[in-house]
Amino acid sequence: MAKKTYDLLFKLLLIGDSGVGKTCILFRFSDDAFNTTFISTIGIDFKIKTIELRGKKIKLQIWDTAGQERFHTITTSYYRGAMGIMLVYDITNAKSFDNIAKWLRNIDEHANEDVEKMILGNKCDMEDKRVINKEKGESIALEHGIRFLETSAKANINIEQAFLELAEAILNKTPGRDPQENPESVVRPDRRNDRGTARQCCA
Amino acid sequence: MVHRIMAAYKARLLEFDALLKEETIDVGRLRDLCFSGVPDEGGRRALCWKLLLHYLPLDRTQWNDTLNKKRAQYNHFVEEMVVEPARLSKNGSGNNHVDDHPLNPNPESQWGSFFKDNEVLAQIDKDVRRLCPDIMFFQRGTQFPCEVIVNDPEVERLHRRVTHSSLTATAVTRKGLGITKLEASNRRSAQTEDYHPLPPGSEAHWEVVERILFIYAKLNPGQSYVQGMNEIIGPIYYTFANDPNIAFRENAEADCFWCFISLMGEIRDFFIRTLDDSESGIGAMMERLMSNLRHHDHQLWNRLRTQELRPQFFSFRWLTLLLSQEFDLPDVIRVWDSLFADANRFQLPDPSLHSNDGIAKRCYAAERFWLQYENSAALPSGGCPGTAQQSH
Ligand SMILES: Nc1nc2c(ncn2[C@@H]2O[C@H](COP(=O)(O)OP(=O)(O)OP(=O)(O)O)[C@@H](O)[C@H]2O)c(=O)[nH]1
Ligand SMILES: [Mg+2]
Repeated sequence: MAKKTYDLLFKLLLIGDSGVGKTCILFRFSDDAFNTTFISTIGIDFKIKTIELRGKKIKLQIWDTAGQERFHTITTSYYRGAMGIMLVYDITNAKSFDNIAKWLRNIDEHANEDVEKMILGNKCDMEDKRVINKEKGESIALEHGIRFLETSAKANINIEQAFLELAEAILNKTPGRDPQENPESVVRPDRRNDRGTARQCCA
Repeated sequence: MVHRIMAAYKARLLEFDALLKEETIDVGRLRDLCFSGVPDEGGRRALCWKLLLHYLPLDRTQWNDTLNKKRAQYNHFVEEMVVEPARLSKNGSGNNHVDDHPLNPNPESQWGSFFKDNEVLAQIDKDVRRLCPDIMFFQRGTQFPCEVIVNDPEVERLHRRVTHSSLTATAVTRKGLGITKLEASNRRSAQTEDYHPLPPGSEAHWEVVERILFIYAKLNPGQSYVQGMNEIIGPIYYTFANDPNIAFRENAEADCFWCFISLMGEIRDFFIRTLDDSESGIGAMMERLMSNLRHHDHQLWNRLRTQELRPQFFSFRWLTLLLSQEFDLPDVIRVWDSLFADANRFQLPDPSLHSNDGIAKRCYAAERFWLQYENSAALPSGGCPGTAQQSH
C-alpha cells in the first residue's frame, strides 16, 4: 500500500454561473496553463493538487461543478462535504454577478455552516470589457463577511493566492488535525483535459 | 500479411456497398455490419448513421422524397425562427427602442420572447464556442454558408443577438443601482479568440451548430437547451459536414438537425432535471448501470465502492453525453458506430435478465479502461478500449 504523501486533505468546491471561468481557474492552478477554450463541464469534475502550508503537506481535492441549473441536483450534493467554496463571477458579465445572491443561498441551504467561502471576480485581464467594478465585488463580499479577490486565469493573476488563502483559512480552523481520509479514496482528474495540456506543452 | 488485411478491408467495403444498394435495406444486416465499425471512406458512415437514426427510411425509393421534404421543412424553421426575428431586431435597434423593450409588461409580446430567446442563446453561444477545441474544425468556415444569413446585412447573426442582450442587461442593471456611467455599454462583449465570427459572406461550423441548437430549443420550449446537447450534435455534424458526396455535404445542417431530433427522442429524459429520479431519468440509469456492473463484474464494482468512486462522478457524464467527452473525436465516432447499431442502444436491462447491451456494454469497457489507466499511471496515447483499432 502506498505511503501517505500528505498531512491533511481539504475538499474545495468551485461554483458559479456557466462560462465564468471555473474550469480555467482550476486548470491554471493545477497545471499552470490556460486554454482559451475548454469543453463545458457536465455534472461534476475534479482535480488534485498538493500544496505546502506552514510546513504541512496539504492535498487539495478540488471539485469543479457545472454552472447550468439542470445540474444542480447533482452538484448541490457535493456542497455538504466541502470545507471551502469558491464562488466565481465574471467581471465582464453583469448577470453572473447578480446571481451571487442565488449561489450564496445555495451554500446556506446545502453546505456545512462553518464552510470557508471566497468570492472571485474572474477575467480581470479584460479591463476594456469590464462591467462590474472592483468596489462592487468588494462590497458584496464585505456585506456577507466573505473573502474577495479579482482573478484572471488567463493572465495568471491571484489564482494561486486565492487557493492558498482559502486553504490557509481552513487550516486555521483545523489545528493539528490528522487526515481522516483514506489516501486510497482519491479520484483522478479528468482525462481529456489532461491530454489537452500535455499536447499544449509539446506544441 | 498486409496484403491479406487489405483484401479483407476491400471485401468489407464491398459488403457495405452491396447492402446500401439494395432497394430495401436489411436493417438487421446493417446493424451487424455497423457494429464492428463503419469504414471512413466514401461517406458510408454518414449514410449508415442516417439509416440507423431512422432519418432515412429503409426503402431506398423513398430517400429523395424524404430528404427533399425534411430539408425544406428545416429551411422553413430557419426562416421563421432565425431570419425573421433577426430582421425585426435589426430594425428595432435602428431606431433605438431596443432598451425599452425588456420593460414591456406584456409577456406575450414579440419583444418579450425575443429577449427570452436571447438568454437561451447566451448559453448556447458559450458552449458552441467550446465544442471540440482539440481539433481544428468547428472554428473553420463552412463550404456552404446559409446565404440568407451571411449575405443580408438586415439579418443579424445569432451570436450578435447574444452580444446585444448582454449589453441591454448591463444597461438595466446599472440603471437599477443608480450608477450613471454607461460608458461600457457601447462595447461588444468578449469574443473567444479561436471561435471568433468570420467576415460577412461566410460562417464557421460552430455557428451552424448554434443555429441547430437554437431551433431545437425553440421547438422544445419545455426542455429548451441543456448543456451537453452541443456534445451530442458535434460528432454527427462533423461526420455529415465531411461527407465526400457534395449533395449530402451541402445539406449537412438540415440532415444533422433531423438526426439530432431523432436521437434526442431516445435520450432526452437524461437532460430533464425533473425526470432525474423517474424510471427513464439519469438517476435510474446510473443505478441500473451500477447494478449491472455488480452483476457482471463484482470485483470492479467492489473496487469502485471501496474507493468511494460514486457513479455520479463518472457515469452521469458518460450516459448523458454517450461517452462523447471521454475520447478523442475519431474514437467517439467509432464507439457511436457500435452504439447506434445496437437495437437496444439506450436501454439498461435489469441485471437479472442476464444481458448487457447498448450503452451499458460501452460503459463497462470504459470503466475497465479507467481502472487500467489508473493502475498503469501512464496513458496510452489515443487508445481506448477495443474501439478504433478494429475498424480497419
Ligand atoms: N480573458 C479571460 N477569459 C477567460 C478567463 N477565464 C476563462 N475565460 C474564458 O471563459 C470561457 C469559459 O471558461 P470555463 O472555465 O470553461 O467556464 P466554466 O465556469 O467552467 O463554465 P461551465 O463549465 O459551463 O460551468 C473560456 O472560453 C475561457 O476562454 C480569464 O481569466 N480571462
Ligand atoms: Mg467548467
